Order: sequence, then C-alpha cells, then structure tokens
Amino acid sequence: MSVVIEVKDIGVSFRRNRKRNFSIREMLLQQKNTSPKGEFWALRNINFEVKAGEAVGLMGANGEGKSTLLRLIAGVLLPDEGSVKVNGGVAPLIELTGGLKSDLTARDNISLVAGLHGLSRSEVRNRFDSIVEFAEVGDFLDTPVRHFSSGMQIRLGFSIVTSIDEPIILVDEALAVGDAAFREKCYIRMQDLLNQGKTLFLVSHKEKDLTEFCTRGLYLKNGSLAFDGALSEALSAYKKDVGGFHD
Amino acid sequence: MGKFGAFRILVYRDLQIRYAGTWLGYLWTLLDPLAMSVIYWFVFSYIVGSNSIGEQPYILFLLTGILSWTWFNGAVTDSARSLVVESKMVRSIAIPRFLWVIKSIGAKGVEFVFALPILVLISIIAKAEVSMQLLFIPLAFVVQFLLLTGIGLILAPLTVLARDTTNLLRILLRMTFYLTPIIYGISDIPAQFHTIAYLNPMTGIISMYRAGFWNDSNLITPIVFSIIISLIIFISGIVFFKKVERSVLKEV
Repeated sequence: MSVVIEVKDIGVSFRRNRKRNFSIREMLLQQKNTSPKGEFWALRNINFEVKAGEAVGLMGANGEGKSTLLRLIAGVLLPDEGSVKVNGGVAPLIELTGGLKSDLTARDNISLVAGLHGLSRSEVRNRFDSIVEFAEVGDFLDTPVRHFSSGMQIRLGFSIVTSIDEPIILVDEALAVGDAAFREKCYIRMQDLLNQGKTLFLVSHKEKDLTEFCTRGLYLKNGSLAFDGALSEALSAYKKDVGGFHD
Repeated sequence: MGKFGAFRILVYRDLQIRYAGTWLGYLWTLLDPLAMSVIYWFVFSYIVGSNSIGEQPYILFLLTGILSWTWFNGAVTDSARSLVVESKMVRSIAIPRFLWVIKSIGAKGVEFVFALPILVLISIIAKAEVSMQLLFIPLAFVVQFLLLTGIGLILAPLTVLARDTTNLLRILLRMTFYLTPIIYGISDIPAQFHTIAYLNPMTGIISMYRAGFWNDSNLITPIVFSIIISLIIFISGIVFFKKVERSVLKEV
C-alpha cells in the first residue's frame, strides 16, 4: 500500500510572545536550526508515515501541537526542520466557514469555495444539488450568507468540503457539526468517504469520534510523538497522562 | 488545480464582493476616477486659474493619470491587506500564498481596464489628437502590474507581522499621489528635480499612458527608469516574500 503522508523529522518553533513587534532583520536572517530564547518548539523530531486508506487519530493535550501538525500536512504551515510529503489531494475540514464571504449568496459561495478547492466548473455544476441538499440550504440559495445562522454556515462549509472528492481527508475537530440530526448525517457521510478508501487524519478531543473512525492513534505530548500504534493503546496512554477524556 | 484557475476564481470573487448588493455596480468603477478628475480639473482650471499646468485638454490629462493612480492606490491597499483579510482561508486551504496578493492586483486591474471606456469617451468629446504612441499603453499596463506585484509581495507579509503597516501606508499613499505627476506634468517640475521624479516608477508609467495623446521630447528617460525600478521592486518582492513566508504563515 502506498504511502500518502510522509512526515520526516518535523520541527516547528513559535515565538513565545506572539504579540511582540517584529524586527524585519530577524525574519530575513533567521537561520533554520536555531531556537533563540523567546521561542519554543511546538513540534520536534516527529516521524511517521500514513498509508493509503488508513484512518489515523491524533490526540494530545491542548496546545499548539495537534493543529500545528495538521496544518503542516495540509500545507498551510511550513516546517522549520524536516519535511512533509503528501501524495494526493487533500480535503481540509479546517475553518469550515472561513471561505464563505458574507456578502455573497450561498449559490455564489458554493461555486467559489468549491472552485478554490479544486473542482472544475462542470464538477461544481454536477455536485451543486447534492451539496445544497446535504447542507439543507435549498430555500436560501440566493440569500447572502451573512443572513445565515452560524449553524447553517458551518453545515454549508462542511457540505462543500466533503464534496470535493480528494483521497486524503484532514479534520481539525470538525468531524460532525451542527445539531444532533445533522451530526448523524456527518457521521454517515464520513463513513461513506472512508468506505471509498480515502485516508483520514483526524485531530480530536472526542473519544467517540476517534474510536468510531480511527484504527491508528498518534499521541502528541510536549511536541513529540509519545505513542504511534493501535488506537486503543494510544487512547490508554493519553488517558493515563491526562486522567480521562473531556467529551 | 492550476494556479491560473485559482487566480481567475479569486479575481472574479473579489469583483463579485466589490459589487455585491450595490445598485450601480460597474458604474462605480467609472464614477470614482471621473469624479476625481472633474474636481481637480475644476479646481486647477477655474479656482487656481492656470492653463499652463499639465497639458490640454486638461481633463484628459488628469484622467490618464487618475485612472492609473486609482489602480495603483486600490491595488496597493488591497494587496497589502490581502493575507490579513483572508487569514482564515490562508490558514485552511493550500493554494500558493502569493495568489492572495496577486488577485487583488488583478481585480483592481480589471476595474482599471473596464474604466478605460471613459477615457475613450472623454478623448472623443475633447477632440483629442492621438498618435501611434497609444501603443505604449499595454506596455504601461504590464510595467505597472509588475510594480504592483513587487509592492504587494513586500507589503502583505509586513501587514501580517505588523498591523500598523496599513496606517503608515495610507499616509504614504496620500503623499505619493502629490509627489507623482498626476495633476501636474513632468515639465511643471523644476529641472533639478527631474531625476528624483524619475525615481518614482509611476512617473514613467503615467508618461506611457499619456504618450499617445501628447508627444514629449524626453519620453525615453522616465520610461526606462520606471521599467528598471519596477523590475527591481518586482524581484525584491519575490525574494522577500519567499524569505518571510514561513514566519508569516505562523502569524496569519
């Protein structure tokens, strides 16, 4: 089975006080492997591979590590050390409402967001109805999105991104959104996507989500990979350190 | 998906957002530079009472400069803010980051092109004489695009990292408007300051837009200056953007 995500010796450092003023000179001359005081390594020496079709769950205490790793894989963050290689297109369930422009109608937003995620115009046309139907926004197609409730917006975002048919799905907590009925739909859709052989990389605090979909667990502790193996064992390691899950 | 496909979608999106919910839509693109030109024309022709400033017909002289300036001002302002305004998308969708900067320049460029009919209209009404040097206009467009790209690639990261940049920029743009030969011509500038004027790349660019309507004996100098300086800024922008991209992504 081919490797779809390859993370080699990844390191990412952040400034401790993000609000401090920047010195342009510092940025231009920043050498790669130094971490001057005032910086900390959110991730260091992370190594793992994900094969096609795997469902991996990433867990860890609150902090920068998990989302940072996900964003590295998504390609929206660049590592300070090491490399990330992703073979295949990615459907990022990150910031689901971020792409929606409030002054534009739902109809326009669907075309634009889907287009930006890589769908051609004909593909957008073909999937338009199913996107609308899943998000349950059929009655509001020509309404500017700013009149949508946050629940509707998030349903729309979820619907669009899960329609783009890429082999790798990255999820930052937003596995199931909205009310109980919609969350059920999200679970079913996720299961469908996985049954199609897609690769899942899920960051979650919810034990239910992790056990439902993932077979392999990565446990990030203090910026390093404390465990990489069967999901149940990863969960035990995590729970032992943290003393229970917050569901 | 191809970079150009994404660019097209982003430019279209910018234009859609600009005109969404407005009644006049495209007409605003014409009204803004036209109104500015009329005001300056009125002030300088009647209130200041000078007909030696710039070239005649003065309204046409103004319009050529102001249309180009409107693109410059709008593109610099929008592209500087592009990464901040779109921060959610920058953080969640992996398209090349420079596209966010360039799409602002492209969208304002489209508005510029769509405003050119006003120039045609005014030149017909004013019975302006035109020459083959109108062919400098496409060159001016390209040079201006390169200049704006370089400026955007430098300002956008700076704005992410130091949000004050927008305030400083506003002041600098105001100053630059008056320091560029828009409401006056290069010949109105005392000779000893000509070289400094040429160092402003917009001087040569606007000379190119005007070349088809008024023949200037010394056209080559400002044009060459503007091309070289625009290229330097363009390349600097690319280099700078690449260097700071990693830091910017952490802060956006």
